[in-house]
Amino acid sequence: MEILEQLQGQAEQIEVLQLQSEVTTIRFESNVLKTNQVEETSGLAVRVVKAGRLGFAASSDASATEKLIANVLESAAYGDQTPLVFPGALPAPAVDCYDARIPELPIARLVEIGQEIVAYLRAVDPEGLVDVDLRRAVQQTALRNQAGAEIAVTRSPFSIDFGVNRVKGDDVLMLYDALGTTLWDEDYMTPVRRMGKHLRLAQTIVPARSGRMPVIFSPFGGLMLTYPLMVALNGKQVVKGISPLAGRIGEQIFDTKLTFVDDATLPGRYNSAPYDDEGVPHRRNVLVEQGVLRGFLYDLKTAAQAGVESTGNGERGLFSLPSPSGSTMCLSAGETPLAEMLAGIKEGLWVESMLGLGQGNIISGAFSNPLAVAYRIENGQILGRVKDVSLAGNIYDVLRHVAAVSQETEWVYRALNQPYLMLDDMNVVAKG
Amino acid sequence: MHDKLSAALGLSKADYTEIRLEERDTTTVSFRGRELENASSVIDAGGIVRCFRRDGGWGIVTFNSRDQLAEKVAQAYECAGNVKSETPIELAPIPVVQDQITVTLEQDFRRVSLAEKKALIESYNALMLGYSEQIVDTVSVYNDSFKHVTFANSEGTRIEEERPMVAVLCAAIARDGNDVQQAHESLSLPAGFEIAQNLETLAQTSARRAVELLSAKSVVGGQYPVIINPQLAGVFIHEAFGHLSEADFIYENPAAREMMVLGRRFGQDFLNVFEDGATPGLRGTHKYDDEGTPTRRNDLIRNGILVGRLHSRETAARMGEQPTGNARAISYRFPPIVRMTNTAIAPGESSFAEMIKDIELGIYACDAYGGNTELEAFSFSSGYAYMIRHGELAEMVKDVILAGNLFATLQNIDAIGNDFVWTQTGGGCGKGGQMPLPVAMGAPHVRIQNVVIGGA
Repeated sequence: MEILEQLQGQAEQIEVLQLQSEVTTIRFESNVLKTNQVEETSGLAVRVVKAGRLGFAASSDASATEKLIANVLESAAYGDQTPLVFPGALPAPAVDCYDARIPELPIARLVEIGQEIVAYLRAVDPEGLVDVDLRRAVQQTALRNQAGAEIAVTRSPFSIDFGVNRVKGDDVLMLYDALGTTLWDEDYMTPVRRMGKHLRLAQTIVPARSGRMPVIFSPFGGLMLTYPLMVALNGKQVVKGISPLAGRIGEQIFDTKLTFVDDATLPGRYNSAPYDDEGVPHRRNVLVEQGVLRGFLYDLKTAAQAGVESTGNGERGLFSLPSPSGSTMCLSAGETPLAEMLAGIKEGLWVESMLGLGQGNIISGAFSNPLAVAYRIENGQILGRVKDVSLAGNIYDVLRHVAAVSQETEWVYRALNQPYLMLDDMNVVAKG
Repeated sequence: MHDKLSAALGLSKADYTEIRLEERDTTTVSFRGRELENASSVIDAGGIVRCFRRDGGWGIVTFNSRDQLAEKVAQAYECAGNVKSETPIELAPIPVVQDQITVTLEQDFRRVSLAEKKALIESYNALMLGYSEQIVDTVSVYNDSFKHVTFANSEGTRIEEERPMVAVLCAAIARDGNDVQQAHESLSLPAGFEIAQNLETLAQTSARRAVELLSAKSVVGGQYPVIINPQLAGVFIHEAFGHLSEADFIYENPAAREMMVLGRRFGQDFLNVFEDGATPGLRGTHKYDDEGTPTRRNDLIRNGILVGRLHSRETAARMGEQPTGNARAISYRFPPIVRMTNTAIAPGESSFAEMIKDIELGIYACDAYGGNTELEAFSFSSGYAYMIRHGELAEMVKDVILAGNLFATLQNIDAIGNDFVWTQTGGGCGKGGQMPLPVAMGAPHVRIQNVVIGGA
């Protein structure tokens, strides 16, 4: 990385990030083992601060070093004047995120796991078409800056994305889930069995009714509620003053049953690592504690703008500047067993997944989504799947009173851990 | 370069092999509020080798370092042997071509200084910020990219193509107390710097709409007759119908094949939908797709009847149909998959005045902020909307989200406007992790009965 040395003297601050990864994918399409892909990626991203202005450039062309240097200096001539300071060498917690068993997993073993998943889901519903992507990777990140940071992190992300779609006449059912880890875990079938359960439940279709009723959000369906929150907790929205949570640290914003934490130091999770992508040590960030707003997610720049310290949430790809991003997000477990939650409902709805996440005026806390998979609950029992139902509201209203939070939590979307939530008075709109 | 490619391809033991090499220079200038967030250029260079074996499957290798092509070809062959497709892969035949496509830009953005690009987008950003005190934040982005693509396959095809793209995005965020509203407008074309200039109206429209939305009431949910504007109609036909026309959704799925059987009635006689990757000057236009198939116009719905679908060479071979020129990849990091190019609802005969005059209570929904579909089910947020009362446009409303079933909704289209336009906004289409792919969408105003509107 002689680029750091070449830029020495031409700028006050210099940071060079080198990314290198190899990803191997085995892909099953519609039950068939179809593709084996290897992606090798390497490149350099450079940031400088020159005369107080930030410059950025990146390149995946190893022969274009001179152009890269020219680009970063030109960029700094017009760059942003935020007084950001690259961190020196800082100690970080030991975070498990590399497991040699992952890169060493034979292709034949990946194929076998894929076949096991396809076979399991096909046994539940022989008419379902199963797609599976199994991915094992080795990612090496090396970051150096003029302040003395010299970080090299190797991670071994492993993920399985899988889904079933089943078409019967004009009825289409699509289920999707993903698991992710950086430490090898033999227990890859848990989310597959969960999907199998829903594939079974979804076979019965029952009529839906509009009106106000209690709703259970599964950990998967609950993202409909936590997604607008994640957006509002992002330091970028906060320093711009457009987050409805800006300036409200210490306020009771939600029911006391809700605690929300971001923690990239958890061992072996998909996004776990000792440092963020700017060389700031990762840490556990409590964002909402018993309903009280405690913090936001910042990278170096938004932290400088807010006059606080980075929370270690600077995330970037090769070709983009860092920006604040959640890593492993956890909504804490509650006290109610799921079975008890369900048993108490006379008439209600179970939300398993929605269409169009992120649509509408998310930043305001509003959500309005048609539901992809939802079930009608009657007298404590799941009766069957309902179709053409949508749900709308605003999280800053509906989460002020949460009827119950389950003891059980589940990992969904690779890096989100959530319990089941019950809201007792939601507006359900059913067509017809 | 052709010699190197030919030498590497000549060593391949696979039944079919292709190599695609790319070099791309991209410049971005973005403002967030008063602050310049980014003014930078990045260089991306890399390649992909894709091959298949009849006794295996697809083997794919992507890379940045392009100096050992023969090794990449061997590695891809090895990958193809690690998998086993039950039905052997076949490719529908296409003509072998040698072609070189160069572009002449009116004002070549590669020769425009970063300072000038910054000044341009800064002026649009200032227009939005100065529009009203209620504009609390903006996002203004200028982006240009120039890509050089070299494609070669083991059948002898050699194509070199230059692909320019320029985009301007202006988003405004307005705030009144706790109410935060946003609006955005964008334009993107495969053209030179000239198209990024003189877009003051675009910036002002964005700011004006964000402020107007502050005084709009949330729509009351329910079923309404709805007129959608050309932009929303274009997104609707792309998202809700176009994706179902992509043969890779259906070619291995008997039930989906039945659902999308050619000859099925999808709408009334006046409904015509087409795809055209060959119309000059549109975002989704190329002479060849990323497998080297020439692009063309493909009718999808003619007089209400399903008559066609979109293919790659593989899906066409499997279904015994012709390749349509729709195998596309966003970059060398991905294999081509079946994608749309420029998708449209053909113009009809109704004027806007005729469409609105007999609506007693309805909604005029404009622009799309996002759309999502899972085959037959779709959901779209409109950017802004108005109530229609007694045959006339009435007050602005917000939070209008249209949801429904594709088949029912297409049948419920009861009027198609005569005011067709192509929408060429920035961003693009996402599928299979490949995002954003430049596409264009075209439509006139369209009236649909009984649309479910989700309200807050």
